[in-house]
Amino acid sequence: MSAYVTMPQLSDTMTDGTVVKWVKKEGEKVRQGEVIAEVETDKATMEMEAFDSGILAVAVAKEGEKVLVGHPIAVLATGKETVEEARAWHQKQGGATTPAVTAPPVAVPVAAPVAADDSKTEMEENAAGEVEKEQPHSVAVMESPRSAAGSSPASAPPTKDNGDRPQRVSPLARRMAQDKGIDLNRIQGSGPNGRIIERDLAQTSSSAPAAASQAAVSQIAPGKKEIIPLSKMRLTIAKRLVLSKQSIPHFYETIDVDVEDLSALRSQMNKRLAKESIKVSIGDFVARAVVLALAEHPALNATFDGSQITRMGDVNLGMAVAIPDGLIVPVLKNANRLSIREIRQRSVDLADRARAQRLKQDEMTGATFTVSNLGAYGIREFSAIVNPPEVAILAVGAAEKRPTVYNDAVVARTMMTLTLSADHRVVDGATAAEFLRTLKSLLHEPGMLVA
Amino acid sequence: MQFREALRSAMTEEMERDDRVFLMGEEVAQYNGAYKISEGMLEKFGDKRVIDTPISEAGFAGLGVGAAMTGLRPIIEFMSWSFSLVCMDQIVNNAANVRYMSGGQFKVPIVFRGGNGIAHQLAATHSHRMESVFARIPGLIVVAPSTPAEAKGLLKSSIRCDDPVIFLESEKMLAETGSVPDEAEYLLPLGVAKVEREGSDVTIVSYGRPLQRVVRTAVEALAADHGIDAELIDARTLRPLDTETILASIRKTHRCVIVDEDWGYCGMGSGILYKLQKPAFDDLDAPIEYVHSDEIPVPFSHPLEEAMLPSVDRIVSAVREVCYR
Repeated sequence: MSAYVTMPQLSDTMTDGTVVKWVKKEGEKVRQGEVIAEVETDKATMEMEAFDSGILAVAVAKEGEKVLVGHPIAVLATGKETVEEARAWHQKQGGATTPAVTAPPVAVPVAAPVAADDSKTEMEENAAGEVEKEQPHSVAVMESPRSAAGSSPASAPPTKDNGDRPQRVSPLARRMAQDKGIDLNRIQGSGPNGRIIERDLAQTSSSAPAAASQAAVSQIAPGKKEIIPLSKMRLTIAKRLVLSKQSIPHFYETIDVDVEDLSALRSQMNKRLAKESIKVSIGDFVARAVVLALAEHPALNATFDGSQITRMGDVNLGMAVAIPDGLIVPVLKNANRLSIREIRQRSVDLADRARAQRLKQDEMTGATFTVSNLGAYGIREFSAIVNPPEVAILAVGAAEKRPTVYNDAVVARTMMTLTLSADHRVVDGATAAEFLRTLKSLLHEPGMLVA
Repeated sequence: MQFREALRSAMTEEMERDDRVFLMGEEVAQYNGAYKISEGMLEKFGDKRVIDTPISEAGFAGLGVGAAMTGLRPIIEFMSWSFSLVCMDQIVNNAANVRYMSGGQFKVPIVFRGGNGIAHQLAATHSHRMESVFARIPGLIVVAPSTPAEAKGLLKSSIRCDDPVIFLESEKMLAETGSVPDEAEYLLPLGVAKVEREGSDVTIVSYGRPLQRVVRTAVEALAADHGIDAELIDARTLRPLDTETILASIRKTHRCVIVDEDWGYCGMGSGILYKLQKPAFDDLDAPIEYVHSDEIPVPFSHPLEEAMLPSVDRIVSAVREVCYR
């Protein structure tokens, strides 16, 4: 079937690109991975590869023509259809560079995360060789234009809904958003042309903490049942988790940490940071501690593809975020180079955008270690499932006052339980234990976190 | 009681109550009414008060205006409102303007009434929906009943009104039956709309024949087949329009669909829409929809005539669109 190849977002600052040269011509056969065009971005000229095999049916963008990120530059006929049929399909979509083609009017929150997960699956399938093969452009156009748009909305100034078009909001919705303090930029409109309407707001809370997920829980009346087909995201999550549990021999280690001093440090910091409107959480400290501990225990900051282990110099920290009907793990790149303040700001931004389904491709891939935190829900302890190809994951429970032994007396201290799940093929019990011991000491005496 | 009987009852009661009220028009007397609305009235009131005319709308409309200006209270019956096209000058320039142009020295307490809109194969020249033509004229009051009770209550009020009233019936509604309150003085206020059915999902506005012919059915279909709970408003008076009632409803439902049988551009519904869009703007979750007849001369062929009119399906479609369902 026909699909658009869209202008990929090849850098943070890129808003548009130019096809400098068509390497493949219209009508030419194309193999997956072959270079089809040279694209000039604000930083460099790059070679663009085909995401699939087929025929380059329509070169939508002309050489030298500027195209906005996320907009079509070519039509790839990937199935049995002829070039003419692909052309006709292109005409039906509205022609060359109509923004409407990439506008996602549907509020279904699946496109972006599915693309991310598909890329991971791809990586597993190409196990031999490139483990961390970043495929920003090819994955982005994997499915329909919708998924491309799902990863490209950051192309225009991040406040706009559809890149270059003003946000469409019904008068009522606009008023409601104002009354409730909801940021319309975070909402996906489900009305015509992406119009934000009343019911889109009903499904959003104004200032969702990282833990808040579901829309209103609908109760099933007694005697009735509700059959829910699996969404794409759900299916992907299911697939990956089964894969994880079937291929990774998990083992678990739990440790309790006295975070009384950490709590005090946090309060102190927040007093100062208040004027910058920053409020750091225990989770931010945990992230920082994890990053420092991984530096001392590189065996856990690694990926395993079944035959070789790749240890990374930087820590790309995956931070699990609950979203309606599922879970996304945005990745905080190079977290080892960030201060606690920066960890806070970036992780909040990632979480917000994760919930609005506006993560960029490279923000959903490449994690070397993941942290999952259910502390906000009051969970004392839980075990997470390792995200392949990573080798470990840390589950963080709630920091709460518990009776504990301190200086030989039983007192109430703020305690927190951490559980590490690890891949026993490549991580041994002792290695994991040493990591946790380091982690605990960093959290127990938080001075080192800010050193 | 039938719609026609309700009309007759209103005229009879008012003529009994007030000597100055009289009825004039084609076939109203000896023929007992072209559509038997004035049946028996000649016998009851005599030929000084129930008067046949030649086919001369301009003549008897003008006669009516003169009579009204000099102290009488005429009811002028048009066999069809399409025929008013030949006496527009009398209605629009005289009836509507005299009070103003005379500085209040003359009033024109006249009621023009008759069958309006599309009936059955009366074709392009005899199927006019005149409501939008008159609703825009300052000086006129425009009324459209949709039930026998409204026919009686609104006609009595119209006869008692001291200003010219355009009273729009429909030949096709005349046999419609409905309960009419028995009271001696059953009057319905002019300029007041009625919330005929309370609902929460959408405000539907209509009046007269379209309301009776198709909108009520559509509202039931919406509830039964689509789970959409419509609040139905019967405008009753088109000029002056009771916007307050409609706006209060939109504040509740956040969406509005107007239905009539007029042509869309500059049709009655477009005037209603104009009055609503600005005050309702911040309460609307979707644009106001207007379902109307196709903009073609009315065909003689019955299937085509049917096809040009708003159908239940078209109304349901429009409602679903504003409900985003």
